[in-house]
Amino acid sequence: MVQSKNSSSLKVKVQKFGTALSGMIMPNIGAIIAWGLTAAIFMTPNGWFPNAQINKLVQPMLIYLLPLLIGYTGGRMIHEDRGAVIGAIATLGVIVGTKQPMFLGAMIMGPLSGWLLKKLDDAFQDRIISGFEMIYNNFSLGILGMILAIFAYFVINPIMMWGSYWASVGVDAIIRVHLLPLANIIIEPAKVLFLNNAIGNGILVPLGIQQASEVGKSVLFLMESNPGPGLGILLAFMLFGKGSSKSSAPGAAIIEFFGGVHEIYFPYVLMKPALIIAAICGGITGTALFTMFNGGLKAAASPGSILAILLVSAKGSYLGNIIGVAGAAVVSFIIAAIILKRDKGEGDLAAKQKEMESMKAESKGQQMPSEQTAQDSVKSYADIKKVIFACDAGMGSSAMGASLLRDKFKKAGIDISVTNTAVRNLKDEQGLLVVTQAELADRALQKTPNAMHVSVGNFLNSPKYDTIVANLKALTQVSDRPKEAKKEKTAGSIEGIDFNKIKEIDFIRHDQHVGSATMARSLFEDGLKKAGKSEPVKALKINELSDDDARLVIVTPAAKKNLVVRYSDIQVVVVDDLLQDNKLQEIINKLN
Amino acid sequence: MQLDSKMIKLNQDVPTRDQAIRMAGQLLVDGGCVEPGYIDSMIARNNDVSTYMGNFIAIPHGTDEGKKHIKKTGISVVQIPMGVDFSNPDDDTEQLVTVVFGIAGLNNEHLNLLSQIAIFCSDVSNVAKLADAQTPEEVIDLLKEVGK
Repeated sequence: MVQSKNSSSLKVKVQKFGTALSGMIMPNIGAIIAWGLTAAIFMTPNGWFPNAQINKLVQPMLIYLLPLLIGYTGGRMIHEDRGAVIGAIATLGVIVGTKQPMFLGAMIMGPLSGWLLKKLDDAFQDRIISGFEMIYNNFSLGILGMILAIFAYFVINPIMMWGSYWASVGVDAIIRVHLLPLANIIIEPAKVLFLNNAIGNGILVPLGIQQASEVGKSVLFLMESNPGPGLGILLAFMLFGKGSSKSSAPGAAIIEFFGGVHEIYFPYVLMKPALIIAAICGGITGTALFTMFNGGLKAAASPGSILAILLVSAKGSYLGNIIGVAGAAVVSFIIAAIILKRDKGEGDLAAKQKEMESMKAESKGQQMPSEQTAQDSVKSYADIKKVIFACDAGMGSSAMGASLLRDKFKKAGIDISVTNTAVRNLKDEQGLLVVTQAELADRALQKTPNAMHVSVGNFLNSPKYDTIVANLKALTQVSDRPKEAKKEKTAGSIEGIDFNKIKEIDFIRHDQHVGSATMARSLFEDGLKKAGKSEPVKALKINELSDDDARLVIVTPAAKKNLVVRYSDIQVVVVDDLLQDNKLQEIINKLN
Repeated sequence: MQLDSKMIKLNQDVPTRDQAIRMAGQLLVDGGCVEPGYIDSMIARNNDVSTYMGNFIAIPHGTDEGKKHIKKTGISVVQIPMGVDFSNPDDDTEQLVTVVFGIAGLNNEHLNLLSQIAIFCSDVSNVAKLADAQTPEEVIDLLKEVGK
């Protein structure tokens, strides 16, 4: 398995790219099925019940609807609703004037336009005159959309035409010389590494749709979705496996074959990596048989179950498809049986399933919940790509917290985006750190179970901010700990104060210093409480004092002048800052 | 956006946090930023999740539903030198607040100012300056210092 850091980060990159591609396709699978069924049933003259009128739906669905949906989804992945709208606008530029379904073009223009609009918004958001936000929002999107659609028409469209011409020439060539089965050498191992959706939806389905639109069906749809190889391996476990792997195999086989959930057999392969040979040979056999016996699907079979495959099989391809799936199962069964019989060692299924869980988590770019222990915190911080502050309405507290942390990040040279939102708008994403008020922590956890969570009580002055900054910074700059921001103030003398006599500490509320005295009193009392001391602390007006050496009065230099004029016995400490002076802590320490 | 000196009230003495929130809300109403219904949503939001931010600061604002009452973005300031406790009645830890910022935000127009306030108030000594300010202009000038 992938262990070294480099290859695992490469895997993460490949996976991320695949996730992004399949993220644009997955939400639109329903539309693809709608198109596939319409075509399979009503297409003239090849459908089951040809109908020339309904057939008119098929082309526009394929040429316009699907790419526009993909462009829309792609834009939304980058920049929410605005990205989605501009993604669709720009995608139209690629579509117009072609007879090919521009899936790849949509996958480029959607995210690209969303990203450009996001950059534009970032640059201008601060400068919009108040009251003109809606005008800016609509016209910036409209104008940029127009430009991008024109750009797509003149630049991306020809590139796509050229690219898909050569891709189809390539696929064509592979098919014609019967080399297509060799692609399974790559596809099967990738599937077991949970790249199945990336490969299926990211590469094979778009190419397949193009081919199906030309010749009415495509073998490409079958290459990843074929349940045969997995079924063969599971059947082999049923007969020749041992212990828990043997007893769990029948259920898994049913889920694989009729449910089309390929993930079910991956742990069995991980348990005995040599079985990948069985999967590859099964895949090659299947694809070879599909090609030989004129198999193919009209649309993507998702999930890859035998039922879905039969449902979207092209007319006249049923036999080929069944032979292909069955052949793949037989071949992978035989090879898997040989491997299992030769090797007597019993694998521990439970342990492998655990390993698979963590691989799956890794391949989806998430952390395992169990890894979020303090011990592993630095490792989890390594995955953080962005920080979101969440509060109830996304208007006040989270905005404040976000700007503070952004400021701290800037000073620490950390380049991670910090945004804020309402809890209900949180989205579970990869590499997310969510900061909330303690009261909202539960709701935030529900919305984003895979994110890392930090809850704070005090948005303005939380020590947790520094923990976050320190952890993130530790990743980039080893052992460069953030310097304590405390200013070293001249340790003024509190000599001459007789702490034994003191019964009460006072702060003075005088003309311009009422609020600060209130605050100083509160902070000082907190400090005393933390030190386990309980002298009363008061904030008084200057004429409310009694001249008594049991009082320790803490004042600013300005207030001292007035004080010494009126009183002679009280003990006085002068501080520059009523709230943060070092002397305050010294006083707390020396009090009884 | 900027603070409006008409929406800054200094030297107020209020006994309860609800009154402090209502005062901040009323300034928003008088400034033409919100309808009176917004004030109730400010109270509701604070009961739900406290708007006490630490460092003697609270930033009461409406709930998500309360947004419909907002006519334009605005921030009001109420200075309470003697302090008011923002903690829940059944809570014995004191959450003393000396400066209350009432917030009505549309389309994130308030974020720049709010972020200045946040950065300024993250140093408690700066909050003391706000709590001691004698004129609305002084408050505005203090917050302008941020980022310079």
